[in-house]
Amino acid sequence: MNEWFGLLGIVIASASILALRQPLVAILDSVLERLDSRFERQVWCRQSDTAMAVTLLFPGLGILAVFGFAPLIYALYISLFDTRAGAFAGPGNYVRAWHDPEFWGGIRVTIYYAIGTIPATLLLSFGVAWLLFRIGRGRGFFRTVYFLPYVTSAVAAATVWRVLLRPHSGYVNALMEALGLPTQLWLIEQRGVLHLLTNGWIGPEVGPSLALCCIIAFDIWHASGFGVVIFLAGLTAIPRELEEAAIVDGARPWQVMTRVVLPLLSPTVFFLAIVSAIKAFQAFNSFYALTNTARSTDTQNLVIYIYSQLYESQNYGYGATVAVCLCVAIVGLTLVQWRVLGRWVHYE
Amino acid sequence: MYRKLAGFTLLAVVITGCGVPGGPPDTQGTEGTGFRPVDANAALLWDRQTLETAELIGQIADEFNSSRNGMPVKVEHLGGYTDINRKVSVSIQARTLPAMAVGYESMTSEYARARAVVPLDPYIEDPEIGMSEEDLADFFPGMLQSNIYPQLDGGMYSFPFTKSVLMMYFNKRVLRAAGIESPPKTWDEFLAQCRQIKERTGVSAYAVDIDCSTLDGMIYSMGGELVRDTESLFDQPPTIRLFELLATLAKEDLAYRIQPGTYDDREEFARDRAAFFFRSSSHRPYTAALFGANTDDWGMAMIPQANPEAPVTVLYGGNICVFRTTQEHERTAWEFIKHFTSPEISVRWALGSGYLPIRKSAASHPDMQAFFEQWEFNRAAFDCLPYARPEPNLVGWQEVRTLVERAAAEVMNGLKEPAQAAEALKRQADAAIAAAR
Repeated sequence: MNEWFGLLGIVIASASILALRQPLVAILDSVLERLDSRFERQVWCRQSDTAMAVTLLFPGLGILAVFGFAPLIYALYISLFDTRAGAFAGPGNYVRAWHDPEFWGGIRVTIYYAIGTIPATLLLSFGVAWLLFRIGRGRGFFRTVYFLPYVTSAVAAATVWRVLLRPHSGYVNALMEALGLPTQLWLIEQRGVLHLLTNGWIGPEVGPSLALCCIIAFDIWHASGFGVVIFLAGLTAIPRELEEAAIVDGARPWQVMTRVVLPLLSPTVFFLAIVSAIKAFQAFNSFYALTNTARSTDTQNLVIYIYSQLYESQNYGYGATVAVCLCVAIVGLTLVQWRVLGRWVHYE
Repeated sequence: MYRKLAGFTLLAVVITGCGVPGGPPDTQGTEGTGFRPVDANAALLWDRQTLETAELIGQIADEFNSSRNGMPVKVEHLGGYTDINRKVSVSIQARTLPAMAVGYESMTSEYARARAVVPLDPYIEDPEIGMSEEDLADFFPGMLQSNIYPQLDGGMYSFPFTKSVLMMYFNKRVLRAAGIESPPKTWDEFLAQCRQIKERTGVSAYAVDIDCSTLDGMIYSMGGELVRDTESLFDQPPTIRLFELLATLAKEDLAYRIQPGTYDDREEFARDRAAFFFRSSSHRPYTAALFGANTDDWGMAMIPQANPEAPVTVLYGGNICVFRTTQEHERTAWEFIKHFTSPEISVRWALGSGYLPIRKSAASHPDMQAFFEQWEFNRAAFDCLPYARPEPNLVGWQEVRTLVERAAAEVMNGLKEPAQAAEALKRQADAAIAAAR
């Protein structure tokens, strides 16, 4: 019965739209005309441009405000409450975070992860894109091949990686055994990779754990495809004449790369560096899917910590506090990147 | 002017959208206010069963629906207990809940704290749809007791539903290959057998799934307790002994951890790559399926003990709680619980699922008798029931569960010494319980 009412509603709404289409268009036209005439009357053209820009941006900004800024402000608001006690806490949650070893552990894991993924992803993407750019033939095919991991669901891909990296009888360990190498616990190994590589000479708690390195490796593999496509687009946009001119002038391949290609590619690198940094600080899927939520602190980044505070401890105030701290960190990092990397960017 | 206008508009949108009138999330709940039902026309049960057991519970619900007029019961499968817990927690914030959900005691205490569940005592005592004294006396006392929450006015906020006990599964093929005739009865024997198996067969004997309930059962069997009032007892010798055992097993390569959230231990066990694994008795049918007709190649027994004269294991498995929605939903939910836990259904569920019957009278039921006689170990879990002890139902215990698992993993990974890990665990657990209070 409800479905019929729904259908009837859709029919009536469609008919109304059809009937009112012309008057609506007329009203809209007159509004735009008035706006145009008002803009034309403006002394400063720049001001009318701003007004037009704001008008056009309004729908997008509205969506951003409701789904982006509003939750952020709400998070800021509830971060001032001890939601378990239902009492106003003021800066109490922030003081708690300052003294919380798990919060700092989360920051450490996030930084290890960012350092592990961003440069490696950029280098690998650039390397692959450069090779693809050079081969000419079959570029489309290989571009699809390298882009495939990126379009594969992270959870599905992580499930396959979990099977490969099973600690006792996984395929990777079987391969290691066949090669006469010691098998590893992979995703459940909490000891530091430096500890394992130095045979215990460095303490087990120093550096990222092997489990975290597995997550980093997974994300480099998963995210590189995106970088490859963006770098390829950047490389394609570089005028070939510039490279040819440099070669005619006697530049060696390395010099062409560093003096011509990389400066012209700097906006692409800048874009990818900023996007990768933001993504690294917001990483969740791979951590969650590979470790089945962080039971151990060595793979608990800030986002997983927020998740566990919200959904496992039902500590909404404190979870929001950590989220606000993470947001501030991302904004701060992006501004620093903007300032530092921005100087190096060449927009010609 | 336009800039100002744009600024004001943006601010207005932000303020309108930020939901300030709603206030901060209400984890305390508001007395007397109900939650909206997820499905207005059916009493929804959020359940964790899969495959055959999901089918069976669906059948039981269908039969219940056709046996009466009124609101039907619908079963929805939402993943494991933890997944359901997360979904319920979020739904409490959205103030929209199903009629009932399965969960551990620690989860129910969180829901009760948010005043999202109803006490079942009025329904149990109801002359029309309640339970008689004889009925209640037929339940295993420990099962009912664990659903009474002393921290929350002593009410019964959940009801035993799909219960099981922690058991030790042993692979006779591996034991025979190592020259061992019977499974260990004490933890010293267990360690000695693990060493013997490793020495003679090269197999790391124990596939470890780090799970809080299993660890709790082991602490019990070491002669320990988990809490006294609201203080955890993880710094006591039984926990330290357990951590020492785990450290030794890992160090000597006698045991290996499996990935959390998988059943790799069962798989490895069936492939003779492990001699032991510790899991709920509900794993019996799945393990039996892996061994097929080779029923003489494996078995189940009470977990090893510090003192076999006074054995203890942990009682686990899910309970069911009824959410504060509408009177009709609540009543339907209770009637379904009553139906599901009736003697006949209890036996049918136990036989079809591998869970334990929650009524004492089940033992004398002809179908149950026939089942006990089918295979020598079919009775093993049922015989452990008198020695099964529930886990604490304190508010905050859900968080403690993660801490326990983390501590055990750190010990097995060699990151912490057993005594150090036990002490840190006690400190963290007490803090978590205090914060939740």
